[in-house]
Amino acid sequence: MGSWLAHSAAVAVVLVLLPLGLGDFAAYQLALYFLYAIAALGVGLCWGSAGFLPLGQAMFVGIGGYLSGLALIQFKGSALLLVLLPLAALAPGLLAFGLGLILFRGRRETGPYFALITLALSLLAFQIANGWNSVTGGFNGLKGIPGLPGLDDFSHAYWISAAALAVVIAATSWLSKAPAGVLWRAVAQNERRVAFLGFDVTLTKAAVFGLSGVLGGIAGVLYAPQQNLVTPQLVGFTLSAELVIWAAVGGRGSLYGPILGTILIGVLTAELRNTFAYWEVLLAIIFIVVVRWAPQGLVGFALPIVERLRPRPRGPAREAPARVLPGGGAAVAFEGIAASAGPVQILDGLTLAVDHPGITCLIGPNGAGKTSCFNLLTGELPAAAGSVRFAGRAITGLPPTGVTRLGIARKFQIPNVFPGLSVAENLNLALWGARARARDLLKLRLHRWSSPLLRELSERYPFLAEGRNRAGDLSHGERQILELAMALAMEPRLLLLDEPCAGLSPEETHRVIDVIRWARRRLGLAIVIIEHDMSLVKELADRVLVLHQGKLLAAGSIAEIQADPAVRAVYAGGTK
Amino acid sequence: MDPLVTTQFLNIAFGIATLAVLALGLAIVFGLLGVLNIAHGELVMAGAYAAWIVQSAGLPYALAVPLAMLACGLLGWLIEAGLIRPLYARPFDTLLATWGLSLLLRKTAEAIWGLGYKSVALPLPGTVDVLGAAYPRYRLMLIVLCLAGVAALAAWFAKSGAGTRIKAMVANPDLAQAVGIRTGRLARNAFVAGCALAGLGGVMVAPLTPVHPFMGIDYILESFFVLVVGGLGSVAGLVAGAGIIGGLGSLVSAVADRTAGYTAVLVIAILFLWLRPRGLLARA
Amino acid sequence: MQKRSVTRRGFVAGGAAILAAPVVLRHARAADPFKIGLFYAASGPAALFGPTQKASAELAVEQINKNGGILGRQVQLLLADAGGPPAESTKTAVRLMVQEKCDLFVGSHDSATREALVGTIKARVPYIYTPIYEGGECAPNTYVLADTPEQQVRPSIDLLTKEKKVKNVYLIGNDYVWPRKTNDRVKQYLTAGGGKVIGEEYVPLGAPNKFEEAVTRIKGAKPDAVVITLVGADNVNFNRTFAGFGLDKEMLRASMLLEENTLLGIGAENSKQLYNCMSYFSSVPGAAHDAFKAAYKAKFGEKAPQLSIIGVDCFAGVYCAKALVEKAKGTKAADLMAASEGLTFSTATGPVTMKNRHPDKPMYLAECEGTNFKIIKTFDNVGSGEACKQA
Repeated sequence: MGSWLAHSAAVAVVLVLLPLGLGDFAAYQLALYFLYAIAALGVGLCWGSAGFLPLGQAMFVGIGGYLSGLALIQFKGSALLLVLLPLAALAPGLLAFGLGLILFRGRRETGPYFALITLALSLLAFQIANGWNSVTGGFNGLKGIPGLPGLDDFSHAYWISAAALAVVIAATSWLSKAPAGVLWRAVAQNERRVAFLGFDVTLTKAAVFGLSGVLGGIAGVLYAPQQNLVTPQLVGFTLSAELVIWAAVGGRGSLYGPILGTILIGVLTAELRNTFAYWEVLLAIIFIVVVRWAPQGLVGFALPIVERLRPRPRGPAREAPARVLPGGGAAVAFEGIAASAGPVQILDGLTLAVDHPGITCLIGPNGAGKTSCFNLLTGELPAAAGSVRFAGRAITGLPPTGVTRLGIARKFQIPNVFPGLSVAENLNLALWGARARARDLLKLRLHRWSSPLLRELSERYPFLAEGRNRAGDLSHGERQILELAMALAMEPRLLLLDEPCAGLSPEETHRVIDVIRWARRRLGLAIVIIEHDMSLVKELADRVLVLHQGKLLAAGSIAEIQADPAVRAVYAGGTK
Repeated sequence: MDPLVTTQFLNIAFGIATLAVLALGLAIVFGLLGVLNIAHGELVMAGAYAAWIVQSAGLPYALAVPLAMLACGLLGWLIEAGLIRPLYARPFDTLLATWGLSLLLRKTAEAIWGLGYKSVALPLPGTVDVLGAAYPRYRLMLIVLCLAGVAALAAWFAKSGAGTRIKAMVANPDLAQAVGIRTGRLARNAFVAGCALAGLGGVMVAPLTPVHPFMGIDYILESFFVLVVGGLGSVAGLVAGAGIIGGLGSLVSAVADRTAGYTAVLVIAILFLWLRPRGLLARA
Repeated sequence: MQKRSVTRRGFVAGGAAILAAPVVLRHARAADPFKIGLFYAASGPAALFGPTQKASAELAVEQINKNGGILGRQVQLLLADAGGPPAESTKTAVRLMVQEKCDLFVGSHDSATREALVGTIKARVPYIYTPIYEGGECAPNTYVLADTPEQQVRPSIDLLTKEKKVKNVYLIGNDYVWPRKTNDRVKQYLTAGGGKVIGEEYVPLGAPNKFEEAVTRIKGAKPDAVVITLVGADNVNFNRTFAGFGLDKEMLRASMLLEENTLLGIGAENSKQLYNCMSYFSSVPGAAHDAFKAAYKAKFGEKAPQLSIIGVDCFAGVYCAKALVEKAKGTKAADLMAASEGLTFSTATGPVTMKNRHPDKPMYLAECEGTNFKIIKTFDNVGSGEACKQA
């Protein structure tokens, strides 16, 4: 909190001192670039933080600009503007949020497709702005827009833009430091894991897109009275493209990258376009070089220093609230499940039940459908027939987020954590996902959450307490443990583990088994483990399910299974 | 049939056939390598300049075809080695890097040839009578050649070993590498071939439009929409995509106007990108 | 070329008081150069014209300086790129006003940028706008040398209806304000001349346009003539397609913005029966124009940028500045506006006289002959049709 305040105050001081140092004209020139910088910051948040690239940011700037221009013309000098202008900035944000909800729904890693949709929308918006003469003024633009009442002079332009930029920086730096910001970065790195922590990925991405729309809107709303004119270029592709270039060159991954990139390139362009014929060539080369060799942009060179200066979270740990789960126990029942991937039938009339607390091992030869069982249970694989019940309710087709919220946690075979986030952030996300409401994610104090279970885990694995290390720097074994710890920190009632000891040394394997047993005792939860290693199965399993060719072949204690002739036939040639 | 209706049908066929060939190079590069080469349009532009150079030198126009393909293929080889290869796993970055490249190529063309429009005379002037409709000879020739070319490609793709390897690589690059297909070399060859085809496209369109440094922008977006709508990895998908994008654009332009045609193309592209991003005929 | 490099130190020097002042007040000394800010297309879609615009303005400045400058002050040309978005141009305008204390602006750019500049300058500095436009600019202290629809359309439609006996006309243009305003005037004169519009269509601006469908539609409509208000590459593209379908032999074409570069793109084999009416072609006859062309060639050599209406307009812009300021004996807005009425000044093709802040001027009707314009008729003193009131 203190650091956030100090940081925002420093920005404000710089903004106040700038015109004194540079002179009034430079300040006036910066007024426009500050507005572009606000819009570019939106691009940076989407692309650098949340991992999707918007190529139509100008559309939101333009919509804000036209709405603001129309309001200023219609209600010149009226107090209504105090309401209308903020609404004009909010409207593009709502549009972006709505677009995000429909475009991101049911899709992971939309990649270039999302970018191209926004590009096409931007082209469409240009045609509308250019053609709808009666409202937008067509090609010549919406002209004669009055300035903001009482602030209608060159010298005021800087202060309005600077104030807006300062507020935007303060707000976005708050957000990016808040749990919400951690969540965005998590979405960029691993959407699947985010969903399996119980967060709504679609909503999260739509919210970031909405926020970037608001930033575009703010830029547009202030642009109209500053320039007294809004033309179709403001919604078009060229500005959208420039915003992306500025964000990329400055550094998309940080808050200041897009802002510095916009101001630097903007000022250089203004100074050089009339004197240096090859400026555009140089800019194209700079852009290529940044994309190819310096994806973190100019700010990237300063990042290691900034990282070192970043203060540790202060203040005493706070107890995270206990997880509240709807009733219904932890029993799983598959009833006549069929599923296929392309032409291949993976699950074929599978009926099984896991209705005891304790450890159930799911075994079977390769291709038996073990991992598909997990995928189907957690809504990643659609069922062609049959039903799934969990905790007393039908959950067939419920997506990962919903399944997770009912108390299922899943650990994947390949460690599935957030490599770019710190260990503490990884663990925090697990705590928040299971316990925090959406609006809690704006509260900085959630960073200090802890739980008794986590403290006990940290005692067993001291590296979990070294919160500042990046998860990506951990060893393979440590990442396996981290993911297991995240799953346990959620305090689920059913834990799905897919080969939890794969790739671990005997020593590490032993410790993982130890933790699994401890967790079963400590949380009284049901655990289903996919395992190939029969010695591990013998050591862990209370009960064993054998799958073969998408059907349940046998179920029972380890001794019963070993005695089963059908199982022996499948495993002919001995167990692995 | 009313000669005008015949003409509009030929226009639609012309739109589809030329778009299929213009998008072909892009389809190879995007389908095989996952690289969305934004500079594809600028390679079309380079091909068109090659055609202009050949014609200005008084050489036969047909000579422009190998020359443009060679020049653009060479450019493609340089681009692949210098810019694309290290970025294969980063789709946004290839998009942005080739975008930067497109700016650079435009500026380079401007520095060499200036911004003025170059006029390339039709190598085959005049019109021929098709069912009572007088249709430009050169456009008719393009329709026939493009369709024949795409059909030949489809046949080759279905039969030859290279076609099989390519299909394997589109479906699963890692597996393809595992079974011994040299994906690195195949990728380079594919990129070079894609660029050479862009050059061919440039030679095709040069006599129809003004040749100038910014002409490439006109082709990149529609070509990409073709891939989105048709889906990657099959010739049928390419033809379907060109049919829908080129056909819809031409059809709506014919019955309404160009603004409606352009809007229809943008809207259909958005719908496909949103609801069916793998296209109509994507390989599973 | 005289050009002041813009330094950071220069910015600091830009005074705060002047920035905030509602009117730029200055007492010029005779030794100070007279600064003209030239807004031209150094970049962007119209950059093709940039070199000609710059060269023409520089030629005018050189000639004026040789003859004693403006009010005894040497003229200095400050170049400003107007090819970017309007907001960039307004920013440059503020810099030129505040920091360079520019005396006057000459602009050759699109109308969106003009609207932006008018809104920013707010009559503090005289502003002369020079290329073809749609009419209607009457902002105070703004002077428009551009061809208006009235000036272009009346002679063109006269030719079509009276001499070529055209009855049915098809209109095609880009979808923005200039083509629509121009076509309004076309319809008005056509109706008066006994003709009618039998088809009208617009294609989007800045989109990848093809014209096969439109040309087929025109073929079906069988007009006697097509009036074209397409610009740039679309204009080239349409005319090539039109001729490719063989329609060039069947009907007339009258283009409203067809200059030398566009005609080169259209190509000699596609320009049959193509007419055009503007105030400038590089082939306009007369002693004044010959002198201009000789001076242009002497200054810029064989490789001089292509002469065309958009470009050469800047020559008239600078000469208009001289005449205006010298007649008003200063740069006070009210004096300038009063002086502009009846003001006579030089253009590349000879003197013109300003009324209602728009000049009456000779218009030339040209027929394309290959990639050249053959002037077939001259209309003297065509009024702009604009009625800007004196302030």
